[in-house]
Amino acid sequence: MGEPTDSTGDAARAKAAAGHEPTRAAVTAAWRRESAALVAALTRMTGDVGVAEDLAQDALVAALEQWPHDGIPGSPGAWLMTTAKRRAIDFFRRAETLRRRSAELGHGLEGTEVPDLDAQVDHIEDDVLRLMFLCCHPALTPDSRAALTLRLVGGLTTTEIARGFLVAETSMGRRISRAKRMLSDSGARFEMPTGAERLQRLDDVLAVVYLVFTEGYAATTDAQWTRPDLCHEAIRLARILARLVPDEAEVHSLQALLELQASRLHARTDSDGRPVLLEAQDRRRWDRLLIRRGEAALARAEQLAGSGRPVGRYYLQAAIAAEHARAVHAENTDWRAIARLYDVLAGAAPGPVIEVNRAVAYGRAFGPAAGLVVLDAIPAAALARSPMPPAVRGDLLTRLGRHVEAADAFRAAAAVTTNRAERSLLERRAEQAAVDAS
Amino acid sequence: MHYMVFVKMAEVDVEPPAALVEAMGAEMERGFASGTLIQVGGLYATSYRTEFRVRAGETTSTDGPFTEAKEEVGGFAIIDVRDHAEAVENARRMAELHATHWPDWDGAVEARRISGPDEGPSASDA
Repeated sequence: MGEPTDSTGDAARAKAAAGHEPTRAAVTAAWRRESAALVAALTRMTGDVGVAEDLAQDALVAALEQWPHDGIPGSPGAWLMTTAKRRAIDFFRRAETLRRRSAELGHGLEGTEVPDLDAQVDHIEDDVLRLMFLCCHPALTPDSRAALTLRLVGGLTTTEIARGFLVAETSMGRRISRAKRMLSDSGARFEMPTGAERLQRLDDVLAVVYLVFTEGYAATTDAQWTRPDLCHEAIRLARILARLVPDEAEVHSLQALLELQASRLHARTDSDGRPVLLEAQDRRRWDRLLIRRGEAALARAEQLAGSGRPVGRYYLQAAIAAEHARAVHAENTDWRAIARLYDVLAGAAPGPVIEVNRAVAYGRAFGPAAGLVVLDAIPAAALARSPMPPAVRGDLLTRLGRHVEAADAFRAAAAVTTNRAERSLLERRAEQAAVDAS
Repeated sequence: MHYMVFVKMAEVDVEPPAALVEAMGAEMERGFASGTLIQVGGLYATSYRTEFRVRAGETTSTDGPFTEAKEEVGGFAIIDVRDHAEAVENARRMAELHATHWPDWDGAVEARRISGPDEGPSASDA
């Protein structure tokens, strides 16, 4: 900690309040807190998310130059906005010159008058939501939507996003620039969708947040089992959304789902970093704080559902996750309730992954033979590259005492997984089954 | 990672200025909206406190108020942040709000990392 000062004067007081000379990390932390609102307001102002981000970045560079000497300003958001606004005015002047030179009107540059941002302060929250809709625009691929959302709403650097998605920084940089260009080219607008379109677009946003979470939760190619940074970002996005769209049950459901799943993050690996399956997890390591938040979000979703708001796959998955969270010991799990929820989920969002999970639930609720019936009904071609079906089959066969077949199933699962930690878990189970067979 | 932010001050019989209360409310709203703030709480005066002290295997209890204490925890916030710098920034804002809206205030804002199942405090965190 820095030395206490007794000097007066604003700069000195700011420093005293900061307690120390702000480091680059402190400046970045302050900037990140403001970046979504900043980029959103600048997008409203310029009509172009790429330009908005450039202006926000300029403001960040200015902050990195000045704050380490001057201290972090009392209101960093206002400071950044003023700085960015000054750059925006330059931008508009350049655009105006360009427009005079060229007969062609570029879209988004029609109104070159600088809008009065101070009058728009009340819209900041709506603008962040508009920014999310824009980042998750249907013109973009899901991967690009995720990257752009993390960049512009989450305030992450390209390096951080590239690390999260395990791709080279240069290709992530290209993906993000391409996405921004695509938005410009497709004429995507900074807007608030209404009516039926709103629900559809909202569903796209939820899907992106969920994608970010699952990417972090089950790393498919990394030696690591999970990458919690992405999970954490996704939870933050879900919490932001729940505040911005408090009237939709599925938004709260997604928050509930992510909080509940994340509560188990640290129990999913043992001290050697090896994966631990749900039923074997030390439930004392589950994060009770997150479970409580998840339950509260689920209760809000239920309340909204009661007043007629639609619920769907996130609600059902959250309800399933809550059933697990409520079981103090694995053997207390209400598998019949979970099997019922999977039946509904299979109707609402049919797909082979749900069916595999339904097979697990049936196996626990009604016995391994019942689980195998569900599993056998899944077309062989579906999930051919996934270790999930054979791994579940191996588990059900083990419990039926069919150890030879179980060992084969676990070996088949180990052969297709691309996750090293998962492979060693499956190989261990195959060996155990082979031992039990002899 | 989770941090607990404490607000500490001498126990005085003075209401905080309305401007501070309002500014703190706005700050909290922003914290919840950004997904950072998990929980906040203000603590009652020490006249509502009971302390059990253990010394040499003996337990004695004392009821508040504790007039001799120089500083007491008056409130706390649990925050969910990406890194230490972000926790520090949150605490700094809290301090800044007091400095701006209650210039006479003499107290401290402290950010402490909460040890979870995943993360224990290490020596280097001190």
